[in-house]
Amino acid sequence: MIDPITLDFVREKIQDIGTAEQVRSNRIRITTTPGRIRDVIRSVQELLSCDRLLTISAADNGKTLELIYHLTGSHRMVVSIALELPRDAPQVPTTSDILPPAGIYERQIHDLFGILFQGRSDLKKIILNEDWPENEYPLRKDWAPDPGTFYGGIKGERV
Amino acid sequence: MAVITGSLSQRLVNWARVKSPWVTLFNSGGCNACDIEVIACLMPRFDVERFGILVKGSPRHADIMIVTGHVTLKQASRLRRVWEQIPEPKYVIALGACGASGGVFHGLYHSVNSVDSVIPVDAFVVGCPPRPDEIINAVVTCLNLLKEDIAHGGKEWRQTKGIKNSKNTTEIREVIQ
Amino acid sequence: MPEVIVPIGPHHPALKEPVNFKVIADGEKIIRLDLDLSYNHRGIEKAAEQRDFIRVLPLIERVCGICSHSHTTVFAKGIEELMQLEIPLRAQYIRTIIAELERIHSHLLWLGVAAHEIGFNTLFMWTWSDREAVQDTLEEMSGNRVHYGMNEVGGVRRDLTPEQVNAALVRLPVLEERVKKYVDMVNNQKTLLVRFKGIGKLSKEEALKYGAVGPTARASGVDYDVRRDDPYLVYADVPWNVVTDTNGDVYGRTRVRIGELMESIGIVRYCLENLPEGPIRVNAPKTAPKGEILSRYEAPRGELVHFIRTNGTDKVERVDIRTPTLANWTSVAMCLVNQNLADIPVIVAAIDPCLSCTSRITVINSDNKKEGLINFDVLRKRFRTRYQSPERP
Repeated sequence: MIDPITLDFVREKIQDIGTAEQVRSNRIRITTTPGRIRDVIRSVQELLSCDRLLTISAADNGKTLELIYHLTGSHRMVVSIALELPRDAPQVPTTSDILPPAGIYERQIHDLFGILFQGRSDLKKIILNEDWPENEYPLRKDWAPDPGTFYGGIKGERV
Repeated sequence: MAVITGSLSQRLVNWARVKSPWVTLFNSGGCNACDIEVIACLMPRFDVERFGILVKGSPRHADIMIVTGHVTLKQASRLRRVWEQIPEPKYVIALGACGASGGVFHGLYHSVNSVDSVIPVDAFVVGCPPRPDEIINAVVTCLNLLKEDIAHGGKEWRQTKGIKNSKNTTEIREVIQ
Repeated sequence: MPEVIVPIGPHHPALKEPVNFKVIADGEKIIRLDLDLSYNHRGIEKAAEQRDFIRVLPLIERVCGICSHSHTTVFAKGIEELMQLEIPLRAQYIRTIIAELERIHSHLLWLGVAAHEIGFNTLFMWTWSDREAVQDTLEEMSGNRVHYGMNEVGGVRRDLTPEQVNAALVRLPVLEERVKKYVDMVNNQKTLLVRFKGIGKLSKEEALKYGAVGPTARASGVDYDVRRDDPYLVYADVPWNVVTDTNGDVYGRTRVRIGELMESIGIVRYCLENLPEGPIRVNAPKTAPKGEILSRYEAPRGELVHFIRTNGTDKVERVDIRTPTLANWTSVAMCLVNQNLADIPVIVAAIDPCLSCTSRITVINSDNKKEGLINFDVLRKRFRTRYQSPERP
């Protein structure tokens, strides 16, 4: 176990590509933009020695869609990288080649929020059933089930 | 009390069915607690295998199907297809709160709310999850239903007179003549 | 592969719910794996946004039947931290006792299922019968064998009486004797060793790279356990050790889990003997202040992460649940490559999947692109006959 990294150390390493703040004693939050996410992830992996991805969380705050990547390493600090995406065309470059566990989380977020991860060809459904209509993203705040649409299951009455 | 009639082989088959039903388990999406309780029935503590009740993998070998979990949209059509493959006479037990009405998951966007809306159910078992004792009780209730159905020559007697063939507890309702 | 479609069916009772993954194989060797998780999707995260903090806990509890206490604890502790609430020490001890009892019953369950996969049904029966002792203890303490409902935001809902504590303490030595027998079995029994060794090997670098968590990662030498690295409840005060192993294969994972069983029994005994007096709950405010928190917990299968965001009302705005099995699926996909088809049941069972194994596996032969479906029972039979054949060393 190596020494915990400090906020100043983080700020020094990512000064051009994001801003950092300490939200808890063991968590540092970096804010960045979608275009720079790959550089930030690479810096965090190499310069801050974070070798594990915990999860990628997505949230809808009413105005924009947010993506937060959580990484950690043997120094036991959690580094959260947050970015915001516009609702009408949420696109962000994929990180599944530099961070292999991200693949499964990206597919799930695409199903539920509609965020498009550019640069990968296999973004097919993983968590919603095969009859689910396109362009309906259930976890967005403005989505409600439409009684006229067929979302899957059995059509008609049972015998 | 009706007398069981029929040829010797038919009577033998009826006796064997009532004595040791084979059960198949179908998990229709859910938290798995009910499945664990069903498997706990097979274990040395409750041990239903000594009564000849085996849990088989294939629906074609089964007399009774136990449906656990609340039915998700993905599993609904598969549940119907599996049920259609079970040879008659067949009985369905829906376990737990999820089987009756969806349980805590009632009304969520990926669910069909009750097993009853996909296939006809013969017994509901209360609990979240039901204890293994209650599950064994449900299987025995289905056996009693089987005996009654054999005496009446099939399942149709339960559907005449407008009596629903689904039950909310493990009691059997009388047919009003 | 012949083009016979075997109908979807409940595979075997010992395996829990359905997950479908497509295995792309070249003859007997696996090339790639495709995953489909939609059988079990219930939309819990969306529903949690519409329930207040009292009503949301039974929903969160039923995410999983085996690790139900883990989900409620991690959620409740996240909300308590956002509200800056300090729960009494007795409540923390009770939460720890239930958490470790849950770990014991989950690992015993896994041991039985893994033994069943290799055809060792005796061990299946033994472990599940020992598990009943733990279930009885949990039932006495909480009223239910599964889904204990002990947690609430602000503490626990039920207290432990001295009779319950004594009854539990009486059962522990018996359980310990049985677990020592399993330790001995794993170290010395030839049938277990042959069938588990060398299968599903994951090196330390691969475990880190593909994000494995829990006993799967610790068996490859990754020294990471949330109870020690991000301490919560009373793990910082109780003497216990993290169990790791260097084998990295299914045998290593078995050893890690059995080691953890012994450690958990020790933690439960310590907590029961040193249970402090005091209240079991504090009154929590109805609403939580605006904020976000990443709450982590070491569930029996690995690290469980809840990302919670609140907005000043009495409901959460977003709860994002990452279960340990989801994190482990990538590493399963990787360690199945170049293994034999017949090894699938044991490797998948070895990560102790909570949304578990398949009822039907589609095999696509990469040469002639024919698809066929194999039932899990067929695969398991293949696995057993392969390991029983005389040529196998």
